[in-house]
Amino acid sequence: MDLTPVLRDEHSAPFFDGAAEGVLVLRYSPNSGEWSAPAASVCAVSQARDLEWRAAAGTGELVSWTVKPGRPGGDGEPAPDQVIGIVELAEGPWLTLRLVDVDPAGLRTGQPVRVGFVRPDGGEAMPVGRVTA
Amino acid sequence: MSGGRTAVIAGLGLTEFGKIYGRTPADFAIEAVARAAEDAGLALGDIDGLLVNPGVGNDIDLRLQSSLGMRDTRLLATIQGFGSSAGQMVQYASMAIASGMADVVACVYADAPLKEGKRTGASYSGQKRAMRGVGALPAAAGLKAAPERYAVAARRHMETYGTTSEQFGAVAVAARQWAAMNPRAQRREPITLADHQESRMIADPLRLLDCCLVSNGGVAIILTGADRAAGLRRPPVHIWGWGQAHPGYADRRGSEFGLVTGAARSGADALQMAGVGVDDIDVREIYDCFTYTTLVTLEDYGFCAKGEGGPFVESGALAPGGSHPTNTGGGELSSYYMWGMTPLSEAIIQARGDGGERQVPKHDLIMVSGNGGVLDFHSTLILSPHPRSA
Repeated sequence: MDLTPVLRDEHSAPFFDGAAEGVLVLRYSPNSGEWSAPAASVCAVSQARDLEWRAAAGTGELVSWTVKPGRPGGDGEPAPDQVIGIVELAEGPWLTLRLVDVDPAGLRTGQPVRVGFVRPDGGEAMPVGRVTA
Repeated sequence: MSGGRTAVIAGLGLTEFGKIYGRTPADFAIEAVARAAEDAGLALGDIDGLLVNPGVGNDIDLRLQSSLGMRDTRLLATIQGFGSSAGQMVQYASMAIASGMADVVACVYADAPLKEGKRTGASYSGQKRAMRGVGALPAAAGLKAAPERYAVAARRHMETYGTTSEQFGAVAVAARQWAAMNPRAQRREPITLADHQESRMIADPLRLLDCCLVSNGGVAIILTGADRAAGLRRPPVHIWGWGQAHPGYADRRGSEFGLVTGAARSGADALQMAGVGVDDIDVREIYDCFTYTTLVTLEDYGFCAKGEGGPFVESGALAPGGSHPTNTGGGELSSYYMWGMTPLSEAIIQARGDGGERQVPKHDLIMVSGNGGVLDFHSTLILSPHPRSA
């Protein structure tokens, strides 16, 4: 799969540690009880600065998506289409994920998605989405 | 606006646009400012304020002051609100003139992303960024360039309101009909809805004819006080209202991303400042990086109800002869892509009655939008050939 490898930095180390073990971790504010996206610096709801990493269920619903047609590569063979979705996790935050094993023609807003992980060469394990219905 | 001196737009300078190679953004910027000054009937030496908006290449900056031979400049800054910058520059320049901080302010945008022999799309692909940290995950998943990032916004609108690709196509066809009457437009050959539907898929649901052009070139405008403009070469364009709104979409449940943009807030603020209603607007110059952007912006401004942008554009409202003339120079889709200077320059042309074959007969109030990022940044202007009555 042609995912671009991503390297960790100080902020993201717990996220990628979780990903390596197959666990999706998000940012959580004990003060507000609300969850925020992995990149958040403050709580997305209350702007509280008490965010900590916490394991999430790893399930959500499809909000929107796009399909990028595969372009012919150096060998003249077209690369596979890329299906990329925005998924609203059960806890509230949105994740942008490559959707794998999916027929884009059948996609609809609200479809259930389960988060899995793959590890591209040269990068950390990263989340992908599988439509489950 | 209340208090102080009232600022007006007194000059407009346009370079050639498109695949103009061998010239730097600074070259284009200098030419645009010189042309704007000449258009206004001012000398470069009259300019005592300069606001600079670099494009995607980020190649022009405060050094433009010395390149233009300016001395003892009283207002000098780069403004970076991406597609909302042009409207922002008019706002800041107006406030500087109102306060007496500066007398004659030039606002300039220039960029040269097109390189000879290089694919057009590569100029805006954003693939050079290093991939590090969780912030890189969307791009790593494949949401890199503007088309795919706008595609998910457009798809959400389609899923929520039933908007169709054919309706996006109606926006493209209308823009091209206007462009056919604009001698400066890069694409003037007619297109049909079938052409749109058969054009190459870039990022589903956006096809090639849903996407704006990429252009090299520069645009500058000159603002000064209404008192000074009265003695200048061209009729002044008056600024009745303005607004900015930057939604700061939270990536989480409840986000209106794709459904409602900053145009809703910034348009309402501009109309309120102008003291007019949306039905008073005669001409719309809408930032149209993609066909979808035109559609959602018209909804947010209130030209039709939320969710009804599809049927509205499909009715032919936007096209020449339609009920709501929009993007009368062909917009970024078909004329030239100078970020927010595209809608702003056409608004000035229409306000002056300089539109030639494409001039809209009734052009007393013109609404101009600017949109940057992926619907992240928004500015609005309401312009008129007439001074606002007290």
